[in-house]
Amino acid sequence: MSPLDMPYTQDQTIVTLPRANSSYEPTLIDDSGARLDNDWTLLADDEPVGSDGNYVLSFDRALTELDGLNGRYGVRVNAGQDVRELAPWLDKIALVEAVFPIYRDGRNYSTARILRQDYGFKGPIRAVGDVLRDQLLLMLRCGFNEFIVKDRDAAEALASAKARFTTYYQSAADAHRPTWALRHQVGV
Amino acid sequence: MKLLTTNRLHDGVTLWWGENGWVLDAALAARLDDAEAEALLAEWKPRETEVVAPYLVPLNDADAPVQREHVREFVRANGPTTGPTTARIAQDHARALIFQD
Amino acid sequence: MYVYDKFDSAFAKDRVREFSDQVRRRLAGEITEDQFKPLRLMNGLYLQLHAYMYRIAIPYGVLASRQIRKLAHIARTYDRGFGHFTTRTNMQFHWIKLADAPKILEELSEVEMHSLQTSGNCIRNTTTDQFAAAARDEIEDPRPWCELIRQWSSNHPEFSFLPRKFKIAITAATKDRAAIRLHDIGLHLTPQGFDVYVGGGMGRTPALAHRIRIGLPGSELLSYLEACLRVYNRYGRRDNSFKARIKILVAALGPDEYKRQVEEEWATMDKSRIDPPQAEIDRIRSYFPAPDLAPRPFDEAAHERAKTADPEFARWVKNNLNPHKNDDYVSVTVSLKPIGKTPGDISHQQMDLLADMADRFGTGELRVTHEQNIVLPHIAKADLYDLYRELDKVELTTANIGKITDIICCPGLDYCSLANARSIPLAQSISNRFADAALSDKIGDLSIKMSGCINACGHHHNGNIGILGVDKQGIEVYQILLGGRADENAALGQITGKGLPAEAIPAAIERVVQLYLQLRTDESERFIDTLERVGRPTFAEALHEPA
Repeated sequence: MSPLDMPYTQDQTIVTLPRANSSYEPTLIDDSGARLDNDWTLLADDEPVGSDGNYVLSFDRALTELDGLNGRYGVRVNAGQDVRELAPWLDKIALVEAVFPIYRDGRNYSTARILRQDYGFKGPIRAVGDVLRDQLLLMLRCGFNEFIVKDRDAAEALASAKARFTTYYQSAADAHRPTWALRHQVGV
Repeated sequence: MKLLTTNRLHDGVTLWWGENGWVLDAALAARLDDAEAEALLAEWKPRETEVVAPYLVPLNDADAPVQREHVREFVRANGPTTGPTTARIAQDHARALIFQD
Repeated sequence: MYVYDKFDSAFAKDRVREFSDQVRRRLAGEITEDQFKPLRLMNGLYLQLHAYMYRIAIPYGVLASRQIRKLAHIARTYDRGFGHFTTRTNMQFHWIKLADAPKILEELSEVEMHSLQTSGNCIRNTTTDQFAAAARDEIEDPRPWCELIRQWSSNHPEFSFLPRKFKIAITAATKDRAAIRLHDIGLHLTPQGFDVYVGGGMGRTPALAHRIRIGLPGSELLSYLEACLRVYNRYGRRDNSFKARIKILVAALGPDEYKRQVEEEWATMDKSRIDPPQAEIDRIRSYFPAPDLAPRPFDEAAHERAKTADPEFARWVKNNLNPHKNDDYVSVTVSLKPIGKTPGDISHQQMDLLADMADRFGTGELRVTHEQNIVLPHIAKADLYDLYRELDKVELTTANIGKITDIICCPGLDYCSLANARSIPLAQSISNRFADAALSDKIGDLSIKMSGCINACGHHHNGNIGILGVDKQGIEVYQILLGGRADENAALGQITGKGLPAEAIPAAIERVVQLYLQLRTDESERFIDTLERVGRPTFAEALHEPA
């Protein structure tokens, strides 16, 4: 209805506004859309590392402490941090959380791709932060396989992302073969 | 005094707050005092399925948009000053140009 | 030209579906304006002063006759009967409804057109030489490479949220008609491969691109571009949108360090997964064969008689033609800069007529130029007068290509919500000032380029005379730059003195022009040549002299 058609009254104090899909409770899903329990805890830099449980370390902390730690940890990579610096300790990293401080900040698309394609990292790469349904396909293609989303229906958002396109013009970190490989039956 | 203006979401058409709601013709825009203007702005900013980014236009003593807004609001109220659609909006409302210097 | 295969068609369809869904969700409030904005920008839709503006992609400037007919139809059906060509060879419609955009996109997909990535912080339309496959100085047709880049950059998952927009241009001739050194990446195709230039651009901090690689094989072009883009995506500034283009990064690192990072990145990539096989390059090339041009004997005497009988035709021949590889042919540039009108605008009638001309006299193909004109690349000399008379019926025979009234101009504050000042009225008054044909021809080649704000959509930094609209507390003031060049000797114009009001500018330009006419050695010394020989300060003085 056009705002011109709506009669305005002085006591129109409560307007029911539609709710954006991205304003719901955060849920953790994997790349099949299945809900996961998030049993990882992000440690503050001054909190000691416990002996049991799953802990996510900040990037800088991981750089200095992973060498001396046993076991496996999560690392949070903020936008702008160079994931290659973690290379010496990738075997101790069981989870990478890559942050999208705002969905427009695309730096961590490169992070995921570098981890998958340059280092062959096989563990979970989790997109956290401002993770919206319209970017899920891009994230999947770059190698993300876990997502914390605040969508009304996370599983549906992921399924819808996967179904958007059948043509992929370029190869990335996922299994989709680029069009030129299909056109010329090239194994890629 | 101020005017409240915006663009309609579905077609981008300029809207002006009139006596009783939004109007298409800037000539019918209501002059609002600061309190009224701020209250209306706060109400309409979140109404994103109807309007996009409403804002206030301060008026000068001659009841026209202040200097720093005058070209922009002149163009929004009347249409482009040039080309195939010169003054198209004023023409659509069958009136003379408003907000002139 | 390129024709979609099933993969391209599927992509176009899916894109229409995706965008339609995004618009539906926005209208229903399922997505906020802030979340929707980059999505609609990636589909070329801006919200401007009066309505939405829709920017349709014309990949590397090439239009088939059926495509320009479709644009005419869209102008009639969804807009106010006209369109506007931009300096990136796209088309803009200025009176669009959001609710109509998905339908328009669907109609465009029927003729293999789209609006993908014509805006947003992603890789934009690659531009190139408007005389591709026709120009005598061409080494190779650049368009297959443009198409290769177009596909690779479409929906690229890693590079859809760059710090800022990204523009690529390719030249493959001796003369650079694509202004490659004023692009984020400029590619110069030589017999040895691609010379790669990075970090050029206009706007707040204009810069000329630096060459970082010589002789890159075409078979490695895409992987090298990926490396360049990855370094930019990771390290381009995100804190200030005026400092976010790659030119800032290249300047901050220094070109050598930027190159080092690119090549380090490139070394880690599995190129066999990024670079398509030769078969794909050959496949795309097969869509750009040398045009099949029948020999057309040219009756020179008849032509001369026509020129004598019709002096307007003679002027048009002198100013609007470009020599062709094939001696029987020429390339015709149709001017969209009629005296006193809006530069770059075209009516739906003119679009339809041009489609007919392309079919009747050309090879069914048109080329949009980054100077906002349109080219019929392959016209037999024998057909010139017939063509001219047809074009004249819809006022498409202004004989001013490259001349002072061939003004490049952005839409400015009459349309654009980003603008600080109006640009079109000033362009019109300058055009009127120099309307006299004899004077305009006497002045010769001189480019005036105008932008209504620092975003520089009018490319004011690379005009021989550049004009930039600024806003001084609501008063429209215009700064004048001198000495820009967009050719293979690219140069950035320099601001001269303080800004002037619009009323003062035509006279100021006239003073500069008069000085040029006095100082030039002879007719063959162009404005830019005299300016470079004598120096800017002399001309800047003339600009600001009181009348």
